[in-house]
Amino acid sequence: MSRFRVRTPTVRLRRTVQLLVLALFLAVVLAARPQPGQRLPVWLESFFHLDPLIPVVTGLAAHAVQWAFLLSVVTVVVTVLLGRVFCGWFCPLGTVHTLVGRLFERWRPARQREHWHRGQLAKYYVLAALLVLALFGVQWLVLLDPLVILYRTLTVALWPAAQGGVESTATAIYQADPGVGTWRVTSVTEPVYRTVRDLLFVKQQQSFPNSGFVLGFFLFITGLNFVQRRFWCRYICPLGALLGLLAWRPWLVRKLDTGACNQCDLCGLTCHGAASTGPGTGWKPQECLGCLNCTSACAAGGLKFRWELPWRHGLAPERVNLSRRGMLEAAAGGVVAAMVLRASPQARGATFHPLLLRPPGAADEADFLARCTACGLCMKVCPTGGLHPTLFEAGLDGLFTPRLVPRIGYCDYECNACGQVCPTAAIRPLPLAEKKAVRLGLAAFDVGRCLPYAYGRNCMVCEEHCPVPDKAIYFAPVTVTGRDGVPTELLRPHVDPAHCTGCGICENVCPFKDQPAIRVTSANESRHAANQPILGSGSGYPF
Amino acid sequence: MSAPTRREFLARSAALGAAALLPRFALGQAAAPQAATAPATTLPPDMTIARWGGTEVPTDLPVKLVREALGALGGMGRFVQKQAVVWVKPNIGWNRKPEFAANTDPQVVGEIVRLCFEAGAKTVKVGDFTCNEARACYENSGIAPAARAAGAQIVYLDKSRFRDMTIGGRRLKEHPVYPEIVECDLVVNVPVCKHHGSTQVTLAMKNYMGVVENRGFFHQDLPTTIADITRFMKPRLSILDAVRVLTARGPTGGRLEDVKTFNTVAASVDIVALDAFGSELLGHDPAKIGTVAMGAEYELGRMDYRALQLKELQVA
Ligand code: SF4
Ligand code: SF4
Ligand code: SF4
Repeated sequence: MSRFRVRTPTVRLRRTVQLLVLALFLAVVLAARPQPGQRLPVWLESFFHLDPLIPVVTGLAAHAVQWAFLLSVVTVVVTVLLGRVFCGWFCPLGTVHTLVGRLFERWRPARQREHWHRGQLAKYYVLAALLVLALFGVQWLVLLDPLVILYRTLTVALWPAAQGGVESTATAIYQADPGVGTWRVTSVTEPVYRTVRDLLFVKQQQSFPNSGFVLGFFLFITGLNFVQRRFWCRYICPLGALLGLLAWRPWLVRKLDTGACNQCDLCGLTCHGAASTGPGTGWKPQECLGCLNCTSACAAGGLKFRWELPWRHGLAPERVNLSRRGMLEAAAGGVVAAMVLRASPQARGATFHPLLLRPPGAADEADFLARCTACGLCMKVCPTGGLHPTLFEAGLDGLFTPRLVPRIGYCDYECNACGQVCPTAAIRPLPLAEKKAVRLGLAAFDVGRCLPYAYGRNCMVCEEHCPVPDKAIYFAPVTVTGRDGVPTELLRPHVDPAHCTGCGICENVCPFKDQPAIRVTSANESRHAANQPILGSGSGYPF
Repeated sequence: MSAPTRREFLARSAALGAAALLPRFALGQAAAPQAATAPATTLPPDMTIARWGGTEVPTDLPVKLVREALGALGGMGRFVQKQAVVWVKPNIGWNRKPEFAANTDPQVVGEIVRLCFEAGAKTVKVGDFTCNEARACYENSGIAPAARAAGAQIVYLDKSRFRDMTIGGRRLKEHPVYPEIVECDLVVNVPVCKHHGSTQVTLAMKNYMGVVENRGFFHQDLPTTIADITRFMKPRLSILDAVRVLTARGPTGGRLEDVKTFNTVAASVDIVALDAFGSELLGHDPAKIGTVAMGAEYELGRMDYRALQLKELQVA
């Protein structure tokens, strides 16, 4: 028996808006692909710029103001006036929660209490802890900001999976080439496939390591809707909490005509935010998502939203009461979390992870971590598919932040896309000429594998692909005598650290597909003077 | 220069020791019926070299050179049949702007596409298996825009569409090749003439590396594998772009100082001869260039290009 559903024009309108915004979000994610020779449009970042939580937290952590986030003032003003309508009407993750919650309704008991629960205070404490954390320079939106979570999940997990599905289906049909008589199915599937590929894919066969973890987290938080619908929004979301604080005294308030109310609790049954305290009774504006289910459901017509000047309405007793003790505990939790998150040796600058090749223009590690929300936008636009979410290479603090994985993709010499799109300037937008001078790391030969060293064969693929005009790889001729006593002339490659930018294309094209015989590590990266050994300057090499 | 008589023509094929291969390798298939019906004196040359001889270089010089070189070779109609599907195979390997001469000149490609259409081609496809990311290479090299403007179909090679084909070469027995290219009626090979770190030069034969997957394999023995794939591809028309030439730090380049203007386009039905000419342009003895030597050994053409029916033109 399906539970009571509200179907009025107002609610339909809200649902339509929700779906449209979700579709728009998806479209903006898909539109984020590099366009050769063109600057990427700034609207690719617009959803993030509407989110006031990001500038507050990254700003505190990095001690920097970012003007792009002025757009979030719109959200703030709307919230102050209308309450948390951002959550109820706009937030794409909120919409996903709504949809998943609806899906689960079938398996849930028909009637469930949807009234205010003290546990909903948790999100305010999460927010408090997050802010304290940020004061300590640690920014941890990675698993807490809804837009970041959704963007990353779409980018590194859901969309690559969809792309893989399209590609393998099209290939299977292409190879089988079925048809009727002379007519071929491929005459339809191939053009469709090519159009999709050319308009929507960044790179053929794109995939991301660790996407399973990203997806797992997403499935976990959406799965919570089984426990209670919009569990995330009610109990965890710090953005919801921030907006809740702004909605302390909205101008648009819910009014109950007590005479009409017959305590049927249809309003409570349908409430997205669990904002009322009981059948027809008190209403907490901070928790209300403005979904308008209650007013639409009220058969007695006793519930209405009305404009009322904040200093006129007597909402005080219904306010969410945050206890001082709870706040202190949250702050203490934030401090502990800051210590734990920053416990990684990399974050302390005590050591440098060799695999942590950050995108060109990335700030030094501490500042980078203070800014990067791990949204995945840079990973989406990297034309070679070279940027990937870390797991623990950057410590817990740097979970899912981007690193270049040369085995999968390299940093294109003529590209600076990641810096163009990073919403928080964790990757600075560098002009191409400047970006070309940034060193991400340093290449080194594994002479136990490299063909001319270990197997007496010339190879040179790495040198051929080196994009630096002066070629960071050069050859030294040698004569070696093999097992059969026959001397062979060989060209042995060397890396010139004065020219190597650590772009990783050499590692990418090395014929050893398992473990390349030339590998780039973070040594010599421009970001950290401490990670730079004393290297030659281009002349007087021992070779 | 006198055109060969029928006797000379046959003598030459005997000299090549490959009479059976001749229509394919020395003259191009389209030439054979023409030679049979037309008087012997109109037999077109095997190779043409068009050089700029004027003073002020016009901006559309590549277009002029291509027109002249092809015209002297007997026109595109010699190779393109009516309603043919043609694959134009430039070098689009790198994400570099045209001035760096790492890729074929876009004007050269555009003009070849136009000539194919003028000769009656139904479809002209342009594509290459790039080294850098394809979209960036296609657009930034200027080749895709130029080819598109000329009416060509831009084809991105799809990794999963390569098919293992029997190459039957010395090194390459079976190798993944892009079927759409092989299935075309004609492949026009349009390399850019440039320096290369490992093969010293990269010219027409090496350009065929853009039709195969798993190129890492080639690097273990470039001359042989390249000769293998060249024989498999049955070259009929190759046009060498030596307008701007990357003379050092190839194949990627990236420094304008390394780019010299040779203002030359050469076209040939003999791919080895063309590569021999290109090697000389770059200052090498063709016999010392692995791919050229191997091509001659495979009897894919002759290294001594001057012994061919050669026509050199001063364009002004
Ligand atoms: S109180 Fe009404 S408008 Fe607010 S979230 Fe609950 S049902 Fe929606
Ligand atoms: S560095 Fe990448 S993942 Fe991090 S905030 Fe910038 S765009 Fe998002
Ligand atoms: S990592 Fe390099 S190739 Fe990738 S987006 Fe950034 S600049 Fe471009």
